[in-house]
Amino acid sequence: MKNRKLQRVLALGLLAVMVLALAGCNKKDDGDIKNFTMFIAMAGSEINDDNEIQQIIAEKTGVKVKETWLTGQTAAEAVGSIIAGGDYPDFIDGGDGMMALYDEGVLVPWDEYLDKYPNLKEMYSDKEWDSFRQEDGHIYWANVFQNTYGENRATTHNDEAFWIQVRVLEWAGYPQIKTLDQYFDVLTRFAEANPTFKDADVIPYTALCEDWKYFCIENAPEFLDGYPNDGSVIVDASSGTPTIVDYNTTPTAKKYFQKLNEQYLAGNIDIEFATQTYDEYIAKLSTGRVLGMCDQWWDFAYTVNDVFKQQGLDKLGCNYVPLGLTIEEGMENRWHTYDDTLNNSSGVAVTTSCKDIDAAFKFLNDILDQEIHDLRFWGVEGVDYLVDEDGMYYRTEEMRTKCADPAYQASHLCNYSYMPQWLGTSHDGKNAMQPNEQASEFFDGLAEPLVKCFEAYNADSYPDMIGSVVEHNQPWFPMYSFSNAMTTDTPGGKAWVKMGEVKHEWLPRVVMSSNFESEWNAYMDAYKAANPQNFLDEMQQELNRRVEAAAE
Amino acid sequence: MKAKRISWKELKNQKFLLICTACFVVYGIIFYYLPLGGWIMAFQNYKTKDGFFDSQWVGFEKFKFLFSDATFLRVIRNTLAMGVLNLVCTFVMAIVFAILLNEVRLAIGKKFVQTVSYLPHFLSWIIVTGILHDALSSSGIINELLVKLGILDTPINFFAHKGYFWPIVAFANVWKETGWNAIVYLAAITSIDPSLYEAATIDGAGRWAKIKNITLPGIRPTIMILLIMNIGNVLNAGFEVQYLLGNGLVKSVSETIDIYTLTWGVSQNDFSLGTAAGIFKSVVAIILIVAANQFAKKTGEQRLF
Repeated sequence: MKNRKLQRVLALGLLAVMVLALAGCNKKDDGDIKNFTMFIAMAGSEINDDNEIQQIIAEKTGVKVKETWLTGQTAAEAVGSIIAGGDYPDFIDGGDGMMALYDEGVLVPWDEYLDKYPNLKEMYSDKEWDSFRQEDGHIYWANVFQNTYGENRATTHNDEAFWIQVRVLEWAGYPQIKTLDQYFDVLTRFAEANPTFKDADVIPYTALCEDWKYFCIENAPEFLDGYPNDGSVIVDASSGTPTIVDYNTTPTAKKYFQKLNEQYLAGNIDIEFATQTYDEYIAKLSTGRVLGMCDQWWDFAYTVNDVFKQQGLDKLGCNYVPLGLTIEEGMENRWHTYDDTLNNSSGVAVTTSCKDIDAAFKFLNDILDQEIHDLRFWGVEGVDYLVDEDGMYYRTEEMRTKCADPAYQASHLCNYSYMPQWLGTSHDGKNAMQPNEQASEFFDGLAEPLVKCFEAYNADSYPDMIGSVVEHNQPWFPMYSFSNAMTTDTPGGKAWVKMGEVKHEWLPRVVMSSNFESEWNAYMDAYKAANPQNFLDEMQQELNRRVEAAAE
Repeated sequence: MKAKRISWKELKNQKFLLICTACFVVYGIIFYYLPLGGWIMAFQNYKTKDGFFDSQWVGFEKFKFLFSDATFLRVIRNTLAMGVLNLVCTFVMAIVFAILLNEVRLAIGKKFVQTVSYLPHFLSWIIVTGILHDALSSSGIINELLVKLGILDTPINFFAHKGYFWPIVAFANVWKETGWNAIVYLAAITSIDPSLYEAATIDGAGRWAKIKNITLPGIRPTIMILLIMNIGNVLNAGFEVQYLLGNGLVKSVSETIDIYTLTWGVSQNDFSLGTAAGIFKSVVAIILIVAANQFAKKTGEQRLF
C-alpha cells in the first residue's frame, strides 16, 4: 500500500519534471524570434531573461541577444579560454583580445554586409571604416562608442580626470584648483575638518590598481604634462616631427608619484588602494566617503551616480566633478577629448559559430533605427519618458529615480550597451540620442549641490568644469588603439606585457615606500630591464605610418 | 621467492575483478595518457588555427625561453616554497590533530569536533578566499581585534606585504584541510591493537609515553605512504588561492607555475609555452616522487612501489 503511494508520488514528480522541461523547450524558440548570444570581455551586469524592453525589441527585430560579461577573470584570460574551448558566442566584444580572435580566423568579415545594411555603413566614414581593416584588407569589428550623429551634445566629461566631491568644493568656498598640491591640500583639509561621513571614516583619496584598470594610478603623468589621452605614450609634436615620449620616466611622473607617496605616508590615501578589486572600489565610492580619485567617467559614474541618487547622497553633495590638473600652474590641459575618439582596436564582432550570420548583421543594423535606439536608451514612451508639445523628450524626477534602480534596470531596461549606438542628436533633429546628453534632462537631473557648484565656477557642463583646450584630434590619435592590439609575437609586444607587469608591482610599491628615492630608482631599474625601448620603437613606427597615412 | 604462474583457471575465477580493472585501465588511458599527446605543442609554435599538424616545429626553443625568463625562475621558487610550506604545515597539523582527537575521552565531543573540523574541506576555494579577504581587510575582524587590543595603532593591509603572503596561504590550507587529512590517521590509530595500550598502562606508562611509543610507531607506515604521495604533489602548491588572493603588489611571491601557465598559455595565447611549463612541472613531480620512494626504500620504511 505504502509502496503504491510512493510510486504514484514518483510518477507525478516525473511528469512534473517532463512538463517543465517541455515548457522550457517551448520558451526557447517563441515564435520566430531568433536567440543569439553575446560575450563582452568587460565587467557588466546581466539583465533578466524576461526583460521587458528586450522582449519588445525582440518582437520588432525578431532577434533576442543574451549578453554575458566578464566575471572574476581578466579579459585576456576570458578570450583565451573561449579560443581554447572553441565554443564561440554569436556576437563578441573581446576587448584587448580582438587580435587573438582575428588570428584564430573565427570572425566574420563585415564588408559585404556593410553595403547591404545602411545603418551600419552610416556609423563611420569610408576613411574611418578603412582604419578598421586588418592585414588581410577586411573589416571584422566596429567600435560602438564615442560616435556622434549630427550635432554634438556632450554634457559629461566622458574621459579621465582627478575627480572631487562637490561637497568638498562647497566647504572650501569653490577655490580654483589647478595643481596636484592644491588638490591634495583641499582634500586633506576637508578630511581633517570632517573625519567621518555617515559613521564611517572618510577616505581623502583612493586609486584603483586592478588589472587593466590600473590606468587610474598609471597614466596621470601624460595628462599632468598637458597631453591628451594617447593612453600608452605621449606624442610630442612641438618640434614639428611627432615623436613618441615615454610618460613613465618623465620628471612629471616622478613628481606625481612622489606626491602620492607623501600623501600615503601622511595617511591621506586609502591603505587598501593597491589590493582592492574593482567591485570593492565601486562599493567604496558608492558610500560617499571617498573624497577624490583619478579615473575615467565611464569607469565609475554610471554605477556610482545611480547609487547616489537612490540613497539620496547626491543631495548631500557626494557627486564628483572633474578638475583639469596639471603639474605646474598655468599650463594648458587636454583631459577632455572634444572630437569622437575612434578606438579601432576593439568592438563588436560576429563569429563564424553564428548559425544565421545575415540575421546577426541585420540585427546590428536594426537596433540603430531611431525607434529601437530610443527604446534602448530612453525606454518606453509614457513609462520611462514623456514627450512635450515641442516633441522634446523628458523624464520626471520619479522616472529618473526609477531608471537609476538596479532592479528596474535588470527587469525593464535593455541598452544592449556594447552594440552599435549613437551619441549626439536624434534623427528627429531635436532630441539627444541618449538621455544624459539631453540638455534639459541633464540640468533637471542635477542635484542641487552640483548646480551650485557649476554656477560658482560659471560652468554649463562637465567639460566646462575641466576647462580643457578646445581643439581637434591629431590624425594619429589615439595611439593606444595600436598598443591595445599588440601581441607577444613582436619584441615590442613582449616588452609591453613586461612593462605592464613591472608597473603593476612597482607603482603601488613606490607609493607605499618609506624611502621614495631608493624605491623609485629600484623601480626604474626594473622598468629598464623590461626593454621599454623595443615597445617605444614600434610605437614610433606606427606613429610615422599614421602621420603618412593622414598626409595622403 | 619464485613468482607464481597465472593459470587460465585463476583468470576465469577472477573474471569479474579483471573486467572491473579493465574499465579503470581504459579510463586511465583515455583521460591520463591520451592527453599527453598534447605535449607535442611544447616543441611547436602551436597555433590553434593550424592544429598539431601544420604548426611550425621549433624544437627546444620554448624551453630555452622558459629558463631564460626571470619570471619563470621566480615562479618555480614560489611554487616550491609554498608547496613545501603547505606540505609541512598541513601534514604536521593533521597528525597532531588526529592524536589529540584520539585522546578525547568523551565520544560525543570527539565526533562533534571531528565533524566540525572537516567541514571546511567541502568549501570551495573561492569561498575560503572570500572569507580570508574579508577577515584580513583593513576593516576586517583581524585588524579590528589587533587595533582594539592595542597591538596595532592603525590597521595593516595584509595583502600588500610580500612577507605575509606565504603564511596566509599556508594558514588557509591548514584551516581547510586539517580535519579532513586527520581522518586517515584516526582510522590508522583505531587499528592499533588495544592490548598494546593495556600492557603499557600496566607498565605504568603515562599518556605522553603511550603516544610516543605506541600511537606514533603504529601509524608510521601510514605517515610514510602519505608523505611519499604528497611529496609528488609539492608542485601542486595551488592555483585558486594564489590567483584569488594575489594582486600586483605581491605578484612576485604569489605567482605559481599554474598561474604562469594560465597567463602565457591562455591569456597570451601561447599554448606552446604553457605546455612547456606544464611538462617541466610534471617531470619535477616524477623526480620528487621517485626520490622520496628511494629514500623510504633505503631507510627500510613502507614505500609506494
